[in-house]
Amino acid sequence: MYDTRRLAVAALLLAGALACANARAQEPVTIGLVVPLSPPGDPTAGQLIRRGAELALDYYNGKGGVLGGRKLQLSVQDSQGRPEGGVAAYRRVVGEDKAVAVTGFFHSSVNIAANEVAKSMGVPTLGTQTSAADITAKHYEVAFRTHLIDPLRVAAWLEFMQKKGFKRVSLLAETSDYGVGLVTETDRQIKEKKLPIELQSLTFDRTSTDLTPQLLQVKAFKPDLLVNVGVGAPMDLMIEQAATLAITPQVPMLVSYDAPIRPQFWQLHPNTGDKLYFIAYYSPKQTLSEIGTWFTKAYEEKYKESPVYSSLNGFGDVAIIAQAVEQAKSTDPKAIIQTLETGKFAFWSSGDVTFPKADGVFWHNFSPPVLILQFQKPGQDWKEAEVVFESGK
Amino acid sequence: MFSLELFTQALIAGIVIGVIYALMALGITFIYSIVKMINWSMGEFYMLGSYAQYLIVAYWLGADLWYVAAILSAATVFLIGWLIEPILIKPMFTGGIERRDDYATVVTIALLLLLRNLATAISGPYQRTPGTKLPGVMLGPLPESGARFAAFLAALAAIALFYLLLKRTWLGLALRATSQSRVGAQTAGVDVLSLDKIAFGIGVGLAGLAGALLAPVFMVYPTDGVVTTTKGFEIIVIGGLGSVPGALIAGVALGIAESLGATFIASAYQNAYGFVLLLLVLALRPSGLFGERLRQA
Amino acid sequence: MNGAAPILETRKLSKHFGGFVANDAIDLAVQPGEIRGIIGPNGAGKSTLINLMTGVHQPSSGDVLLAGESLVGRKPHEIARKGLVRSFQVSRVFGNLSLLDNLTAPHLAAARTREACQEGVAKARRLLDLVRLTSLTDAPAKTLSGGQRVLLQAAAGFMMPALTCYLLDEPFAGVNPVIKDQLIALIEEESRARGLTFVIVSHEMAVMRRLCRKITVLIEGRVVAEGSLDEIASRADVVTAYLGKSFA
Repeated sequence: MYDTRRLAVAALLLAGALACANARAQEPVTIGLVVPLSPPGDPTAGQLIRRGAELALDYYNGKGGVLGGRKLQLSVQDSQGRPEGGVAAYRRVVGEDKAVAVTGFFHSSVNIAANEVAKSMGVPTLGTQTSAADITAKHYEVAFRTHLIDPLRVAAWLEFMQKKGFKRVSLLAETSDYGVGLVTETDRQIKEKKLPIELQSLTFDRTSTDLTPQLLQVKAFKPDLLVNVGVGAPMDLMIEQAATLAITPQVPMLVSYDAPIRPQFWQLHPNTGDKLYFIAYYSPKQTLSEIGTWFTKAYEEKYKESPVYSSLNGFGDVAIIAQAVEQAKSTDPKAIIQTLETGKFAFWSSGDVTFPKADGVFWHNFSPPVLILQFQKPGQDWKEAEVVFESGK
Repeated sequence: MFSLELFTQALIAGIVIGVIYALMALGITFIYSIVKMINWSMGEFYMLGSYAQYLIVAYWLGADLWYVAAILSAATVFLIGWLIEPILIKPMFTGGIERRDDYATVVTIALLLLLRNLATAISGPYQRTPGTKLPGVMLGPLPESGARFAAFLAALAAIALFYLLLKRTWLGLALRATSQSRVGAQTAGVDVLSLDKIAFGIGVGLAGLAGALLAPVFMVYPTDGVVTTTKGFEIIVIGGLGSVPGALIAGVALGIAESLGATFIASAYQNAYGFVLLLLVLALRPSGLFGERLRQA
Repeated sequence: MNGAAPILETRKLSKHFGGFVANDAIDLAVQPGEIRGIIGPNGAGKSTLINLMTGVHQPSSGDVLLAGESLVGRKPHEIARKGLVRSFQVSRVFGNLSLLDNLTAPHLAAARTREACQEGVAKARRLLDLVRLTSLTDAPAKTLSGGQRVLLQAAAGFMMPALTCYLLDEPFAGVNPVIKDQLIALIEEESRARGLTFVIVSHEMAVMRRLCRKITVLIEGRVVAEGSLDEIASRADVVTAYLGKSFA
């Protein structure tokens, strides 16, 4: 007897199953973004990272998503720049929103705290702009990073000094973890690489506003280059006071981070900023990857200004996670970790990103190239500043 | 790395910064001697002075009229202090003539946090500068920025004027009398409560003047006054509470100690040499170089 | 009862400190030009009375009048400028100020013109001469002996331009006989020359006899007797309560 009722039920079940499978294919893939959006964190940095991350979504979703049609979505949480805020944010994006990986970290302390929870919850973290050694030096399976670390910053400026033929170098550093760390690392690498550089390293308290005593010693040392390792106000004060003591511009100065790209730089240093060297992580004059080029164009269209490093890295990190999901053919965090360790990924900068199980701080770490830029005239837009050095080239 | 040139340079630099330190300290010691309380928010009044200078120069008078701006900035800070004292400080001394300073001191700590956060909220954490058109000068072998040399001269003039105000005017006599005996001054017909307002205003106005003068030298940002408070207290302990010549000499001594210490001993401990000097003075003269061993009742 | 209106008057003046009654409905009337003595055992409320009259404390009830005008609610410096001036048991001289500045401070508080200043300096020098401290005119007051400080403080009171009534709180305590005589001479001179009114709180009976024709006795916050020293001495209750054997 031909049972039409059974057939109908079977057809219905089949249709239902297909519908379900189709629905699963359409379920979006969530990426966690833990960024500082309110004080005491740095909300500006948080916003810039978020801008980049959102454009990465536009890019991949515009191409039809990942895993054969699943859209990407972000779960954004505010860390407030506090470790406990970061822990709560990580738990929420992983526990409630089922994120497959978490990125966006800006404050090192937040990243370190989140990594401790990640260790037990198993969803990987990808540090966006966090520099503390402990983030990768602890060798956690879940911890990854794409930011510049001290040894590479130092390697870059030593290579730059070699290239320029600077033999006597004064390093004037604040007595913070950042400043002392860079002094120690510079000293170590000069000895290790047996470089022909005579180093005068001087330190000063971050609260000092008068650096005349230190600079008088710099002047007496007659260096070829003065490296300015101050952050914030001390960095600006050193630029002014070195000029007052007639050290600069005869002796060129290198600023240890990308502070001169801030909009108020020339207002503070109308006469003293010319010919300044400074470390930067990005320049529009740099050669970028294919997706990096797409990004800068899209960013300029959307925000009517050039992207900065925070946005570029926010974009690049979400892009890496999207590629890892695609390559792993899975949203399982374990599979994603496995893929991150073995795969190759496109980033905003040219060249492939990898996260090898390397020694020490280099574990699961990728650092974008370091640039050294130089202003060519007073009042020059940093985007026009000459790229005088690029690491790895 | 000793050389006579380096020594001379460090010495001159120390004297210049020392006189500026003295101006910062003067207000603290002055307020203490009249109102009988420690004003922990002194650095924030320096900060207000520096922002006032920045606003007046950048948006109104221009860098050429920096000295007019500095006077206006100091006057503005004086006015703020004069208005704040009866609202925030005076009510802490409840009733009577003999007063307790604990509450008032705590209020100044709250004021410190309020003003600092207000500045961050309004202007952001960035540094600003009113700019300067003063050309650099050579002080012997030491090249010095025009703005810092101008601040040095103006600080000297302000200290001298303040000294004359105290020694040569009725207000000065009333202030000196009040500092030594509030009850006695009141008996002599001095309105000590309105004098408190004036004294608080003058004290914070001196810090505001320092902030205005140093705005182009050390830049303007929400925590730019921290140095004022720390150096100020070192100076008044070294120089002796309530002494104008003591503050000047201690300021210069502190400036020289820091400059020579940072140049010839170890630069990282620039801020520690002042404390060494302070401990030394305390060991030899517990009441400071010019201080009274006992305050008059 | 004298016919003239009193220069300084208290009406039912009372002060309670918690449950303790320091002054209890004190009626006092001091005539212009009078030198009034106030005596009483320790804790009788003499200093409280002076503090109430000069605005240091506010009365719990009652009134204080200077030349018919109420002083209740006035601040101490206002009362001083109105002419009711006091001295303190404890020295309140300005130790770091010169003797001359100590004397000109109260004068300048009220008179700020150039002429007034010069007049004040001249007056201060005359007073220093009177108390024989001329040689120390420019020395800081902290170099003075205890007795000299008492003299200086008493002299400072005479500098208030509007001075009409001077309250002296134990001016002779712990002062050597030479200075005591100088002080008495100063009071007599100022009383005679300017017709000033004095209220003197003291234990020194010999001095009181010499200076005051009328003495008020305060015991436990109340006025128990008023009159010449001899009249008071005839009151058995006063003698037993306070004066005892030491009175002669």
